[in-house]
Amino acid sequence: MKKLVKHPRRLFGVAITYLILLLVAFVFLFPILWLVLASFSKSGSLYSFRGFFPTEYSFDTFVKLFTDTEMYNYPRWFANTLFIAVMSSLIGTFLTILTAYCMSRFRFKSRKALMKTTLLLGMFPSFMTMTAVYLLCTQFGLVNQHWGLILIYSAGAPMGYLTQKGFFDTVSVSVDEAARIDGANNFQIFVKITLPLAKPMIVYTLLSSFVWPWSDFILPKLLLKKKELWTVAVGLMSLDDTEFSRYAAGSVFIAIPIVIFYFALSRFLISGLSAGAVKQ
Amino acid sequence: MTAKLKQFFVKTGISVKNFFLGIGNGFKTLPQRLKARWNAFVSFLKNADGNVVASCLLMGLGQLFYGQWAKGLIFLAVQAVFVLFFVFIGAKGLVGLFTLGTVESNAWYGVEGDNSVIMLLLGILSVIALILYAVVYVANVKDAYKTQCAYDSLKTPPTFRKELSSLLDRNFYKVALALPILGVCVFCVLPIVFMILIAFTNYGGTTVPPKLVDWVGLENFGKILTLSDFAPTFFKIFGWNILWAVLSTFINYFAGLGLALLLNRKCVKGKVFWRLFPILAYAVPGFITLLGFKFMFSYGGPINYYITQAGGSAIGFLDIDAKWSSRLIGLAVNAWLCIPSSMLLATGILSNVNGDLYEAARVDGAGPWKQFTKITLPYVLFATMPVLISQFIANFNNFGIFYFLRGGLYIDGYFLASDTDLLINWLYNMSIDNNYYSIGAAISIVIFVVTSVISLAVYVMSPSYKQEDTYQ
Amino acid sequence: MKKTIPAIAVHIAAIIVLICCIGLLGGNGNTEGREKFTGELERNVTLRILENDTAIKQGYMSELLTAFNAKYADYGIVAVDANMDQYTDLANDGPYGYGPDVLYQANDALMKYVDNRHIMPLPVERLDCYSTTGDKSWQAYTREADGESYVFGVPVNIQGPLLYYRKDLLPDNWQTEWDDDGDGVCDIVQYWTDMYRFSKQLKASDEVTSDGAKRYGYMRSFLEPYFSVGYLYSYGGYTFGSNNTDARDIGHSKGEAEKGGWVVRQLASVMDERCIDDSVTVTAYSALATGEYFATVTTPDVYTLFVTEMKLRGYSDEYIAENLVTANMPMLPVSGDLEDESQGFVPSKMMGGIQGYAISSYTKSPNAALAFVDFATSYEMISRRNELLGIVPARNDVANTVGGLSQIINLNLSEGNIVVMPSISEVAQIWTPLQTFFQDLAKDPFRPSAEFKYDTKEKIKQKLVDVDGQIYSAIFTLA
Repeated sequence: MKKLVKHPRRLFGVAITYLILLLVAFVFLFPILWLVLASFSKSGSLYSFRGFFPTEYSFDTFVKLFTDTEMYNYPRWFANTLFIAVMSSLIGTFLTILTAYCMSRFRFKSRKALMKTTLLLGMFPSFMTMTAVYLLCTQFGLVNQHWGLILIYSAGAPMGYLTQKGFFDTVSVSVDEAARIDGANNFQIFVKITLPLAKPMIVYTLLSSFVWPWSDFILPKLLLKKKELWTVAVGLMSLDDTEFSRYAAGSVFIAIPIVIFYFALSRFLISGLSAGAVKQ
Repeated sequence: MTAKLKQFFVKTGISVKNFFLGIGNGFKTLPQRLKARWNAFVSFLKNADGNVVASCLLMGLGQLFYGQWAKGLIFLAVQAVFVLFFVFIGAKGLVGLFTLGTVESNAWYGVEGDNSVIMLLLGILSVIALILYAVVYVANVKDAYKTQCAYDSLKTPPTFRKELSSLLDRNFYKVALALPILGVCVFCVLPIVFMILIAFTNYGGTTVPPKLVDWVGLENFGKILTLSDFAPTFFKIFGWNILWAVLSTFINYFAGLGLALLLNRKCVKGKVFWRLFPILAYAVPGFITLLGFKFMFSYGGPINYYITQAGGSAIGFLDIDAKWSSRLIGLAVNAWLCIPSSMLLATGILSNVNGDLYEAARVDGAGPWKQFTKITLPYVLFATMPVLISQFIANFNNFGIFYFLRGGLYIDGYFLASDTDLLINWLYNMSIDNNYYSIGAAISIVIFVVTSVISLAVYVMSPSYKQEDTYQ
Repeated sequence: MKKTIPAIAVHIAAIIVLICCIGLLGGNGNTEGREKFTGELERNVTLRILENDTAIKQGYMSELLTAFNAKYADYGIVAVDANMDQYTDLANDGPYGYGPDVLYQANDALMKYVDNRHIMPLPVERLDCYSTTGDKSWQAYTREADGESYVFGVPVNIQGPLLYYRKDLLPDNWQTEWDDDGDGVCDIVQYWTDMYRFSKQLKASDEVTSDGAKRYGYMRSFLEPYFSVGYLYSYGGYTFGSNNTDARDIGHSKGEAEKGGWVVRQLASVMDERCIDDSVTVTAYSALATGEYFATVTTPDVYTLFVTEMKLRGYSDEYIAENLVTANMPMLPVSGDLEDESQGFVPSKMMGGIQGYAISSYTKSPNAALAFVDFATSYEMISRRNELLGIVPARNDVANTVGGLSQIINLNLSEGNIVVMPSISEVAQIWTPLQTFFQDLAKDPFRPSAEFKYDTKEKIKQKLVDVDGQIYSAIFTLA
């Protein structure tokens, strides 16, 4: 405090900082808060609102969301989404880490070409290739299969290996060398040394490859025809206009696992990303 | 500090120069390398013994003759799998790739004909399989020849067990990358090749299965060139698309960085709490927030409610006349969606900056702004170049924003597009909405060539690519 | 050793021969055509039925399935809910075996499937509803194919816009002041001119509802062409020539369609900006219940949504039945000016749709599927459907028994005041250009007067010509 009083300019700086933080918090919270409010609206329609606020509140929508499942089976969709997201996240992370490790530690003939190719592949408009993905799935019997989606998500995951590769680029090879002198092979080094070191990065990858299937709409819409197989995103999009509060409640609820995920892992996440950067 | 930045640019310049020089040298040494290869091949043809010839005839046979049972049987099994694949799928697929079907099906009378697009797809799959087969075949012959060479020079060839263990060590990458590469080939490369080939067919409009699709060569590209409506719309949208991609990447990146810097200040208490708010935005699926924002800015939405309550007249934020306000709202909404993740990234990277640098700068009398421009920025830029490029690409191809905020408009002076549409939205209007797949594919090739040249140039020039092993 | 090259050559040759032999010789499965509707019911089959969400939600679907399954239990035919998205595209699902056997969709969606033979021509003359369903309804499902005229769907209900209004919100003195024709029905809900005058008065006044919202008269989003294009039709405009079958002749600017455009602009001026985007459409349910809006136009099947909203605000069932009224569309002035009644009136034409059943070409049991369609369109089931869902039956006998609106809409259809949505696939290209046009037009009264784009009928006409050109190029330039 003493220091602050001595430096009115610094005090001013602190005030400005908090002012901006408050503003940022408001900007990010407000639309979400609105969604939360809407989910507690008594009337099904968004339009029984006065401005941002519902005219009447009630907990009914959430009760309805989980009990009135005849037409809109939200609990089922939720379980489906969870299964797909968790499985694709696990497999996708495994493949991504493996790819990043190899691209970082091995020097082989076609490596640079491979790196450039993956960058290029990411540039194709993805919906144009959806027709082909769908046809492929019809031929391999992957339509109406959750495993089909998991396969596609996991197969696509290694395309985003660059961040992870950046991480491995910064891990010193001296530890590997030491282990190699002790007679360890590359597989053992990967399992016993690199993986434990990469824990934060693995957590980051888990989270980012979880979020994609969690909120994707196009692929499940294309591949899951049966209502009982739908994911939350597809289900919510099929709601009537008049079901807005149910839509809002469903959207709010779907955010909860990610927030929990974030809180549980935020410690790793921050250090994970930092480790991905270049050490000077 | 300026010197350091200068050095950074000089280094970049040198690396670009080296890149091109490298290509030049590659061409210079090409004849020599080709000659060396040819000589090796000729000596192989001369020296190969009976067992190798057996392997040439049938995969794995030579290995069996050498008594390498396990390896021989594996190659033999692979041979069998490929033959079976060609018998059941591959052969039809390869022929179908050329014909694209000959019998039109008629579901009314139960006539089962050919599905052209499936044939195209299986054709590509078969070509990939054929290439894979060639690779395995060559590996098989090489392997047999290697064994022969080992015997010729009176050495014992490595045992099967030893070769297996090399897969976990020196050749670990081959094992590890096999699965990811296979996955990417089937679910990313194959669909893209399919789409590229579609650009040379007449697939689309009413010519979709069960009607037979045919190869038309460059006709679709010709159509694009001669269509008088096409070029003006393309350039208008392209201009806006570039502006959008640059602006939104810039905004998201620096706002995220700024936010991270702000949260990094020592005076901020409760960092986890403050960081929670952007995380909330990250947690709700994008399409939901986009629809929410669309409603929020609509005439019946809450913002206009308060405006009219206060006696003002409603504002059409996203309506037909609102070219620039829609664009600005698009930028803002996109920032809202993307800043959280770029903040997370920047936070992580910042916590890694060497504190001594700042201390030194402070001693030299550099203010906060100078510290930012001379230390933080170059450092962060250096560390995140690949991420920045992929963000640029993602923004360039950001389909969702204007599809959800302002879909369903064709503005005057645009051909099947609105003044906020990006190329990808336009592509969608033409290819999915209007079913013109082949034209859409042709246009996306044009777009792809443009974007890839830009991005690849930036990527290859970036120090993150050129000097990737500096820090290992 | 010089045998290496021959060995490699033999290997490659073997592969090539293998591919060529199998690839070229492998014939197609079944190229023999056969008639599918033999009349003989398939036994022990499961039929997957795609119905719309409302039918499932209101319990009609389960009733229908139970009744059908009981009747055909002897044959082992079981009909089940296909359990798919109601708007699912058969062209995507059917050929790969994921589609339903029987689909219930609108005529434009169903007839789109005909181009590539995804749905089958039906022997409709064998069906119970054949003679009791109107010609116009059958027309929507008729198409020339292979030089003959076939019917591809069985009409179930007619969708046409209706006027919804709150009787209790009429001015108290309407019997003396608003009933010039003296027929005992308020002119406001009979003539657009009076609706316009009433709405203008309400907008200018500062009347508010009990919870403080400003009151409006007629409210309706113009964004959706389905509801707006009717104004053009009323004055001679049309979508496609030759009864909506000739995509080369696009006619939204034909006749005196600009008069319809002018009516739209006038109506927009007595609403507020919410008629420009789709705000009003979704607000209408609750805004009619609170009394914020006096009247709106929408389809018959959403009646229950208005009722639900009114119930939420404490109105009794009797009160709602008495005061939430659905009526035929008001008449339009011949002059095309809502302030000029001098030249008399013409009936409003509106775009409508006909929903019905079709049978997928990929079904394994066409005869059982036909039996299902016959059953679902029987007198009893259609009556029940009307009861539960409030739909307007395409069967005249049911419509005449129920009377009321069903009769009016059936009459409107046969007199051509409901123009059935085109059933050709090119119709997909009209929506975005028309939507843009109506948004632009509805916005016009709210622009500063110096920036008016459509302050004369000529300008509207000119724009309509452009819109037709735009649709034409959307259909033909890339094809």
